[in-house]
Amino acid sequence: MDGALIIDAAVEGIIDEAVAQKLIVGAGGSPGTIYGKTGKAFLYQKIQGFNNAAKTWPWLVLVDLDNDKECAPPFCTRWVPDPSPYLCFRVAVREVESWLMADSETLASFLGISRAIIPKDPEGLVDPKREMVNLARRSRKEAIRKDMVPRQGSGRPVGPAYASRMIEYVQNYWRPEVAARRADSLGRAIACLRRVIKEVVA
Amino acid sequence: MSKNLIFCRVGLKNWKNFANAEVAIQDRTFLVGPNASGKSNFLDAFRFLRDLASPGGGFQESIERRGGVTALRCLAARRDSYVGLSVELKDPSNTSKWEYEITFNQTKQRRPILRKERVAFNGEVLLDRPNDEDRYDEARLSQTYLEQVNVNRPFRDLTTFFSSIRYLHIVPQLVREPDRSVGRSDDPFGGDFLEQIAKTPEKTRNARMRRIKNALHVAVPQLQEIELERDNRGTPHLRGKFQHWRPRGAWQTEEQLSDGTLRLMGLLWAVMEGSGPLLLEEPELSLHPEIIRLLPQIFARIQRRTARQILISTHSPDLLRDDGIGLDEVLLFIPEKEGTVVSTAAAHQDIPSLLQGGLSLADVVIPKTRPEKSQQLALFGNN
Repeated sequence: MDGALIIDAAVEGIIDEAVAQKLIVGAGGSPGTIYGKTGKAFLYQKIQGFNNAAKTWPWLVLVDLDNDKECAPPFCTRWVPDPSPYLCFRVAVREVESWLMADSETLASFLGISRAIIPKDPEGLVDPKREMVNLARRSRKEAIRKDMVPRQGSGRPVGPAYASRMIEYVQNYWRPEVAARRADSLGRAIACLRRVIKEVVA
Repeated sequence: MSKNLIFCRVGLKNWKNFANAEVAIQDRTFLVGPNASGKSNFLDAFRFLRDLASPGGGFQESIERRGGVTALRCLAARRDSYVGLSVELKDPSNTSKWEYEITFNQTKQRRPILRKERVAFNGEVLLDRPNDEDRYDEARLSQTYLEQVNVNRPFRDLTTFFSSIRYLHIVPQLVREPDRSVGRSDDPFGGDFLEQIAKTPEKTRNARMRRIKNALHVAVPQLQEIELERDNRGTPHLRGKFQHWRPRGAWQTEEQLSDGTLRLMGLLWAVMEGSGPLLLEEPELSLHPEIIRLLPQIFARIQRRTARQILISTHSPDLLRDDGIGLDEVLLFIPEKEGTVVSTAAAHQDIPSLLQGGLSLADVVIPKTRPEKSQQLALFGNN
């Protein structure tokens, strides 16, 4: 996308990176440098730096609400009490997997499952990642099951190629606009990006 | 049948760093530990089996290549102790299980001599040496049955499998200067890497090169094409076409390709070639951290297709950051006075709670395997 406004971002992990890039492109921007990808704590430590940079240039910071008891608004205030004008600080309720499940049609075909078993209210899930793995467990495709579901004895929440499968889905099939109808926090993220781009361009 | 076997358990007795180690291993296994803790020596146990079973190898030769029994034996062992190696193998469907065990030391003349060789298939013992013939003629104990075609028929699958083990530790300089390792075949350091690509049938080669090109495109976006060509002396060369300010781009040969590009190419080529276990020494070297952290995913996806076992030694926190790495897939090598202790990350009870609290596997495992007193290295040069 030549001439599009470059937007930098900071995210928790590599799946979030793919999501951030897709959202930026969808809003008419062009993804710049993506920072972080080493967990939430890093973002929390460095948020002031990202906020500083967003005084003059658009930035997207994407974090998962996870199981923090508080709702999104107080969470935001705690992280960035004084947000810069071009900062899009967005919180996924509760994890970015909720946003992916919100486009149930493409997810069902990607995972090889019935659309009916995908939760209708993904933002209401307590542990969306676990739900995603459980959906993959019911896949008709052996490759999806082997990649996404942890082996017995692995002691990990996800399978060996979970992240690369999710990235593949986000890049090739996921439709943020459609997903936003079932995930308010995603809708607000898209709106925020559009607004910031408009302000900078104006 | 031999194609689909994997190692599931390894036991080492007085083998180099290991006084007594026994550990379960998975289809994909990561070896983590400080320098000189024995990661390479652990991998060498598999290379030893390969050497035993390969043409030009055999028991005497394999030990000689390693400097003799004395050099092989663990420093913590007594002088006359036996060196022992035992492995268990299975096929992925768990329907067949092989066991192989070998124990040896040396004669007064320092010639390696077998003390035990045992093969079992699904619990049935196919070979148990020393047998009557060995007792009658002790010279027979200078060779394993594994290496002898006329006696290994009942367990030929095992021999074939051992000889399919491949070790790789690509040194970009050797790829660029193949003269340095002239005549070596299957050179683990990449000396005959280009020759191997050239030997591959054209159709297979093109398909693999295309896949490598697509994968490399992620790491090196400027790289548009790769191909192999022979110069007028018949020496194969790799050429890569780079996007450039000139409209047609610029070709570079392997001499100009970066270390990282060459290593990644070698790695990707190796995982596609062959079906036996692949031993990879520090695949992260010269690669960008963002590429490194995807390596475990690449291995997982390749394994799903090929069912090939991959053992990887690493020092890289980026590689271990991957959430999909099972705790039973990580072996920790911790040096103790009486030799190195090997354990799976799953055996450390504190690890699950640390992970649950938000630490990554790298955050947990790297400090656990830190060399003791490593901070004193910071004082180097003071006096």
